[in-house]
Amino acid sequence: MTNRYDAVVIGGGHNGLVAAAYLGKAGLRVVVLERRHLVGGAAVTEEVFPGFRFSVASYVVSLLRPEIIRELDLPRHGLEILPLDGSFTPLDDGYLWMTSDHGRTMHNLRRFSKRDAEAYDEFGQVMSDLVRFIKPIMGVVPPDPARLDPRQWLPMRPLWRSFRALPPDERVAFVQLMTMSAVDFVSQWFETDPLIATMSSWGIIGTFLGIRSPGTAYVMLHHYMGEVDGAFGAWGVQRGGTGAVSEAIASAARSHRVEIRTEAEVDRVLVEGDRAVGVALRTGEEIRARHVLSNADARRTFLELVEPGTLPVEFEREVRRFKYRGSSGKVNLALDGLPEFTSLPNSETTEHLRGAIGIGPSVDYLERAYDDAKYGRFSREPFIDLEILTLVDPSMAPPGKHVASCFVQYAPYELADGEVWDERNREAFGDAVVDAVARFAPNIKELILHRQILTPKDIEDTIGLTEGNIFQGELTLEQLFWNRPAPGYGRFRTPIRNLWLCGSATHPGGGIMGAPGRLAALEVLGSVRRMPRAS
Amino acid sequence: MTSGYDAIVIGGGHNGLVAAAYLAWAGRRVVVLERATEVGGVARTVELAPGYRVPALMHDVSGLRGSVIRHLRLESHGLRVLRPPVAAVGLDPEGDPVVLHRDPKRTAEGLRRRPRDAAAFGRFDRTVRSVASFLAHLSATTPPDLERPSLQDALTGLRLGRALRRLGRRPVRELVRVLPMPVADLVGDALEDEPLRAAIAARGIAWTVMGPWTPGSAAVLLLRAARGGGAAGDVAYAEGGPGALAVVLASAARGFGADVRTEAEVTAVLTRDRRAIGVRLASGEEITAGAVVSAVDPKRTLGLLDPMDSGPTLLWRGRNLRSPASAAKVNLALEGLPRFTGVDHPAVLSGRIVLGRSIEHLERAADDHKYGRISEAPFLEITIPSLTDTTLAPEGGHVASILFHSAPYRLREGEWTDDLRGLVGDLALKAVEEHAPGFSDRVVARQVLTPVDLERDFTLTGGCVLHLEPGLDQLFAWRPMLGHARYRFAVPGLYLAGSGAHPGGEITGGPGANAAREVLADLRRRPRVPASRDSDRLPGPG
Repeated sequence: MTNRYDAVVIGGGHNGLVAAAYLGKAGLRVVVLERRHLVGGAAVTEEVFPGFRFSVASYVVSLLRPEIIRELDLPRHGLEILPLDGSFTPLDDGYLWMTSDHGRTMHNLRRFSKRDAEAYDEFGQVMSDLVRFIKPIMGVVPPDPARLDPRQWLPMRPLWRSFRALPPDERVAFVQLMTMSAVDFVSQWFETDPLIATMSSWGIIGTFLGIRSPGTAYVMLHHYMGEVDGAFGAWGVQRGGTGAVSEAIASAARSHRVEIRTEAEVDRVLVEGDRAVGVALRTGEEIRARHVLSNADARRTFLELVEPGTLPVEFEREVRRFKYRGSSGKVNLALDGLPEFTSLPNSETTEHLRGAIGIGPSVDYLERAYDDAKYGRFSREPFIDLEILTLVDPSMAPPGKHVASCFVQYAPYELADGEVWDERNREAFGDAVVDAVARFAPNIKELILHRQILTPKDIEDTIGLTEGNIFQGELTLEQLFWNRPAPGYGRFRTPIRNLWLCGSATHPGGGIMGAPGRLAALEVLGSVRRMPRAS
Repeated sequence: MTSGYDAIVIGGGHNGLVAAAYLAWAGRRVVVLERATEVGGVARTVELAPGYRVPALMHDVSGLRGSVIRHLRLESHGLRVLRPPVAAVGLDPEGDPVVLHRDPKRTAEGLRRRPRDAAAFGRFDRTVRSVASFLAHLSATTPPDLERPSLQDALTGLRLGRALRRLGRRPVRELVRVLPMPVADLVGDALEDEPLRAAIAARGIAWTVMGPWTPGSAAVLLLRAARGGGAAGDVAYAEGGPGALAVVLASAARGFGADVRTEAEVTAVLTRDRRAIGVRLASGEEITAGAVVSAVDPKRTLGLLDPMDSGPTLLWRGRNLRSPASAAKVNLALEGLPRFTGVDHPAVLSGRIVLGRSIEHLERAADDHKYGRISEAPFLEITIPSLTDTTLAPEGGHVASILFHSAPYRLREGEWTDDLRGLVGDLALKAVEEHAPGFSDRVVARQVLTPVDLERDFTLTGGCVLHLEPGLDQLFAWRPMLGHARYRFAVPGLYLAGSGAHPGGEITGGPGANAAREVLADLRRRPRVPASRDSDRLPGPG
């Protein structure tokens, strides 16, 4: 036994770092323990190929909560978000292009449908109003529906009031967003199939659901919460990759005297009686602390880091049935030049390459991609969210070269017919992704200098996310809010006293948001204030 | 112009008749207007061949609310509900059938060869029953007014709160967790055997366009379980077929003084100052009343209104109501029953027979709907009510009522034709034949109803038998839509009493009974319409 801290944080993902920073800021002695050689978890930048740097896993930023940016003074520590403009969906005979240039977007939409062009603004208005309405929910500690204690329900009152203050149509839209499929929701406004597909595609990111599955409208809203410099629905990338976001938070944490140790893999949580008292590292070293916060997902934390038999049987059953079902893959490409889409040649403009490029030309295309995954295959024609990050941040590759990030749905963690994620399947998956892009930009094949393929299995192995789920558990309706990560444990607490969860496994879930880390830290601090301070 | 009614009920389906009977029971003057030559709506019996009577559409009346049977004294009007010993059976050509008895203990015993599930089934059944017991409360309740909760809503809230407390902490958490789930996860978390999972999950998707992996299908199963039967689900037949139930309901309504008219098609709801004051019939006849109660589906109801009265927003929302359909009906008269593989006693076939051997099979059948295809490997829910009710077929003969998934209302390639209708019948028989060789040879008459036929013959918009898809977005306080879920619909004086209102479709009488309660509450606030009153001076709202 060596050290004694107020709090030890297991895992240096962005949420763990946020939690540590808040605790440190409040004057606690905190240490963060990260298994890998660098902090960030899924938000890391690595030079995968010489000269080419990638945001290996998560790649866009904008859900990061503004209060965290402000309270931790992140811009001073290096946070710099560069906006991505627009979304471009190549089609076999044309393209759909929506940008912040309203006139151009309208011009493009009118070619498909005048009605849709008219509905576009109205739809945007509804979405941004609802985002404004729902954002406060992200900052609330969920009540336990089985307890009537009025104190835990108090934070819900303003939400109820603002719900009732919404115009009737938007109240309806809110209920629909919580219950509908993305396609059903979007189709109320639009009739053009590729437009419905593009709008809906945000609803499947990171989920094992199709764009026609109820619940995806919510995931779509979740992604609409993106905000860059106060502009709703805007997405951006961090200069230097998402790893630099983690670095900025780590730097803020260090400025509050938080100790951050890498290559410090936690073996287990030390429990005495009914409370956590610290952790033991793989090396045998023990670190004692009054509070233990786990940034790992629920399954890792409770089934791997906690001694079997410590937890109530019922709780363990809940943890086991929490769904992960990783469904996303990532293909990072080092390119020798810019890809050229047949439907909009680079000689006309390259501006469309500066935003999000969606490979998903129709509702059926996206739904078929899901069907493949349902039956245990990676999508033969996958949905791809493609970003050429060097166009926004040239520092990521040598001059004249480019890096492209392909986020791919779907790649199920479990394959059917006895297949496993071996080298052959990984390469076949990579080929399917490149082929899907090449359908619209044939020159991409010749441009590829290197490619890095991450299957859900790879995401699990390298980053430590169970079943490769990027959100530490599916963002399905039954796994949100008070059910996240288990019914009755939506308040960051666990059955073991002083053991807390602070990652995406808790409300409000995944994405580079930081909200779970912040809320967990505030809950820890609230409990500290009610107890005598550590000596 | 006819007047003197307190209420007009549009549509003589089971819900319309229930609503009319309740209103008449309370002393109101009511008339039911049915377009067809006979009442019943989806609860009708068809004579396929002399002496062979088959449920035309819905075959199960187990959901009929007990209080409706008691209040309206349906038994004294001749209702006999027959309950077969087996609730459901999942057939598997390669293995033993999965038999779900009415008694969960017997079901568990029958699962001995699946030892882990034998124990788990009892636990699962208890969970379903505890969640369902609360949903039963909810089904009987008028959804609250979220915008301006009244004292009544507060009291309802308290009552529901008490019901929740009685449930206990764990079931409450379970309740909020399971409702939005896919039914495949609901059964998959609890049970291991694939045919058993499928036999149970089938009930979460029948008559819907969902697959077992669709979120919200668990809610469908649980809402059905709220009518009884636990995990296995219940099944019951009205003696003489579902049409007999409709006859009984009409007789009860008439007994309380209601007029029931057939071949009286309503073509418009009449309004004055954006208030419903009556209806116009196809014949041109106009009838006025203080309340117009529509038991037809919400889209059709909106269609009866002058667009100026509903207004553009409501019209837009009405158009966006989801009433997709992918269920076809195959009705058969059989001169005998062949042996079903693995079935040693015909009683095993007396409940719902599920032909869907795995969750994946059910899901693939639902996939076909998405792409507008007729399923080559359909999921079937079959009943052979003649095993329980011998009056339905001549000696030795039987009738079979088959629900066929998927047969989409909108086909991707072309329109519905007679050939395609025949194809649906052939595919159904082929599927049954796998389990019962020689089945097709016993068919003496058959009828195939596609969703397009259902729309035309049963006045169901889009062929949607449940009026609206029971998705999470069209339930409870937002069925048919938020702000119109309290049975008061579109304009003052117009009410919705059919399956498009809470608690939804199938033969339950629930929407009709709930709606009647609200209509009566409103009528009580206003003076009665004297029989001779001049229709020009109808009382206004409030």
